[in-house]
Amino acid sequence: MKKKNAKKVLALMTAALMASASFVGCSGDTSSSASSDASTSAESKTAKLMAAAEGAVGNWGLGNEYEIQALLRKYGYDTSYISQAFDMDGFDTDEILLASAMTYNELGLVKNSYDGGYNYGDTVSVIDMNEEGVAMLEDMLFCTKDFAEKNPETVKAFVYASMKGWAYACANTKEAAEICYKYGSSVSPDHQAYMADESAKLVSTDMSGNTVDSSAYGSIDKNAVQQTLDLCKKYMVLDDSTAADKLKNMTTEDVYNDTFIKDVIELLNSNETPSFKPEKKEVSIQLKWLPDAQFMGYYVALDKGYYKEVGLDVKDSDIVPGGGDVGETTAVSNGTVDFGVTWVSNLISANASGMDLVEVAQVFQRSGLVLVYKNEWAASNGVD
Amino acid sequence: MRKKHKFPPKWLVTSVWIIGFLLLWEFGAFLVENNPKIQNPEYILPHMWQIFASFFDTNLTTATQTPFQVVLEACGATLSRAGIGFLIGLSAGFILALLMNLSHIVEKVAFPYLMLIQVIPILGLAPIILALTGDIGISRMVIAAILTFYPVSANTLAGFKSVSTEQKQLMFNYAAKIPVTYWKLMFPTCIPYFFTGLKTAAPMAITASILVDTLQGDGGLGCALSQSLKHNTTIYVFWEIVIAAAAVGIFSFYLMGMIENMVSPLQRINRKLKRGDKG
Amino acid sequence: MRHFLKSRKCRMISSVMYPVLFGVIIFVLWETQILHSIMNTSTDVLPVPSKIASVIGENITKLMGNLWITTVPTLIGLAVGSALGYAVAVIASIFTKWGGGGITLVSCFNAVPIVALAPIFNNLCKHVSTDIGTRGMAAKALVVMMLCMASMSINAFRGLTELPPFSTDMMKSYASSKRVTFVKLRLPNSVPYIFTALRVSVPISVISALVSEYFIDTREGSATFCPGLGRMIRDTILKCQYSAAWSYIAIACLLGITLFVVLMIFESVMLKNRQKQ
Repeated sequence: MKKKNAKKVLALMTAALMASASFVGCSGDTSSSASSDASTSAESKTAKLMAAAEGAVGNWGLGNEYEIQALLRKYGYDTSYISQAFDMDGFDTDEILLASAMTYNELGLVKNSYDGGYNYGDTVSVIDMNEEGVAMLEDMLFCTKDFAEKNPETVKAFVYASMKGWAYACANTKEAAEICYKYGSSVSPDHQAYMADESAKLVSTDMSGNTVDSSAYGSIDKNAVQQTLDLCKKYMVLDDSTAADKLKNMTTEDVYNDTFIKDVIELLNSNETPSFKPEKKEVSIQLKWLPDAQFMGYYVALDKGYYKEVGLDVKDSDIVPGGGDVGETTAVSNGTVDFGVTWVSNLISANASGMDLVEVAQVFQRSGLVLVYKNEWAASNGVD
Repeated sequence: MRKKHKFPPKWLVTSVWIIGFLLLWEFGAFLVENNPKIQNPEYILPHMWQIFASFFDTNLTTATQTPFQVVLEACGATLSRAGIGFLIGLSAGFILALLMNLSHIVEKVAFPYLMLIQVIPILGLAPIILALTGDIGISRMVIAAILTFYPVSANTLAGFKSVSTEQKQLMFNYAAKIPVTYWKLMFPTCIPYFFTGLKTAAPMAITASILVDTLQGDGGLGCALSQSLKHNTTIYVFWEIVIAAAAVGIFSFYLMGMIENMVSPLQRINRKLKRGDKG
Repeated sequence: MRHFLKSRKCRMISSVMYPVLFGVIIFVLWETQILHSIMNTSTDVLPVPSKIASVIGENITKLMGNLWITTVPTLIGLAVGSALGYAVAVIASIFTKWGGGGITLVSCFNAVPIVALAPIFNNLCKHVSTDIGTRGMAAKALVVMMLCMASMSINAFRGLTELPPFSTDMMKSYASSKRVTFVKLRLPNSVPYIFTALRVSVPISVISALVSEYFIDTREGSATFCPGLGRMIRDTILKCQYSAAWSYIAIACLLGITLFVVLMIFESVMLKNRQKQ
């Protein structure tokens, strides 16, 4: 009994230490003190909104909730939220006042009037996780450590072709949307075009709002990974104590390996056409969600033959749609597919439970998660 | 039994009930529609005629397909996958029942676990089976097979047990070998029991297949259903699927009945007698 | 006589021994990870039993909280659904000619998959209560009720109408009224059928409660709110927390088994006299 208590105290102390460390880390990041005035006014606005929406903040859960929980905690609320279905009906009916939305998907459905949309136009606004300092890294490319060690050329070739696809897609979003529509028809063409535009923004803007040069797409920012990991350590509840311990001791080195993307960026910036000797030619990739422009880079790389150029054999059916109940992390870990697209937090929880996965390229440089609210409701609560 | 002049005829009863049900539905839809709190009545309870109209909707809801085409294609995918799982579960269930009847040890070992399988919420465990097998096609078959397995083997075993000792002794007196006994006596006796199992299992296999579809984007009714609920296609795809799923489930039940009529010796004799009456 | 007893005892023991032995062998294979190599999986996805047990031990209060959230609507749905189903069967048996068609219609509800029923009832219950927990419970209980009602009404209708041969004629010769026939003949005749129905609906009620949790609104994300076993199974699997997932699965199986055992005991007590006759 005593031992247990001692353990608890120890755990509390380490947690407190980590929290303070991350706090110091965060304050170190936001070095631009000139904008602190603006940020405090934004924060007081958010605080008002959060107070008005207490108990009516929605999220999908299932591994997507940590940013929302961090935001709730930031403003002093309990970390619970309403489970949101994968539509915006709850928001539409005012059951959820602050609803989670991805800028490239649900937000478009809320704003636009095309098939499946809710046609709110500019009468809604958002709370951006990046501005609130609780952003976590999302879509990225990963494989198992074992695969990366045994097939370094394959990984490099795949990352090269994929990032080339992303660069092309971000420069030509309209065409990219059409290509996605051709391969996966899960959404309407109008929405696909919207998704392509918004996804491109996430690829080319980082967490602090700076533009990422097209020559640096996919690069992994250690600080951003650190911030993601710190938030995971705070808000991820793991029932298995072994996994919880593993999470506690995890460092960024356990999450990513940026040698591949560094080489790829160098190759992409040099004008010569590289030649790869992939150890495994037939590779497949599992997406995090239904086939749409959130993953346009891979579809463009397939359509434009970039994978073929680097000596890889990727067929239509090798880009496997996700959005199901078994995570892409499991699919990659048990060898069903070679690569996967997932959120950094999902990879962290998978590694904590004993899997050996490694991030090789960070596609989205900032968080695409926002909380959307109706302006009318905000005005009635004293926020303009 | 005494044969009375039958009124009302069966078709009248059925159609009155169906009309009654439709009226009830329409009443509910009317209430939902006129509730000022509800903004999108079609997400809660649309009118029946709206659903039927959507079957003939020519607007494309995905890249290439109208809602009805989506449902039709998904239906085909689900049915074929459920069918394979069903056949596997059916054969495994039948073989186990046979083994259990042949060997007391097998029966003693397997019977409690057979009960256990029925009580374990397999459908609720679909995600973990998917994680274990790593392949959605295999896990769909595994789940459909497990669900088919229990009713088939339990019923078939009951069928074997229903053969009376006198009948078995008669076969023994004829000096019939075991395979002959099974072929001539045991199998024909257990056919009605076997089909009772199939009738329970067929709709279950379809339900299982639909559920597994929702777990990963790989076509099929469940997949189309979840995409419709996620606003990727019109909501009428969802309602069409509700109707299609019910129809397919009922169809599978009647299909088993039809096959039973074709296979069962008893029914064959009945048919022959009928034909004899007419001729 | 003595020999007979001995052999019967022997048979009793062997009928317990064999399955237990089989179970033990499976457990040993599982614990020693031989099962993993046969099934070609890793301990990440299929943790060994001792690991699952330790995770259960660590989170027992959380598990029990979630068990409670799932059990309540399961039992309510089971009870209300079965009662309603029986009532439907009674009404149908009074108007046998018209009732049979109604029962066929009710049996069609069974063919609508749970995955489709759950979102419908979730939407229907949106305006039932402002409290999300109550709303979720109501939706879950309705799904369970729907499925239990179907199986009960079908079976009870058979019990109320498929009477032993000549029994109705006998009642008629006693000049007994319809009510007496119902109480003395139809009602007792339907009792075994009720248990047949319950044997089907008990596992179904657990399954439908678990599966409907995938689709039903809830509040989650903190220690004070439990979303239910089904939701937790899905959640932990998506987060790759397989040892935790298995602990929830074990509890869910336990719920199913417990309800079934209770039913079996109840059935053997209720039908005891019948078998003696």
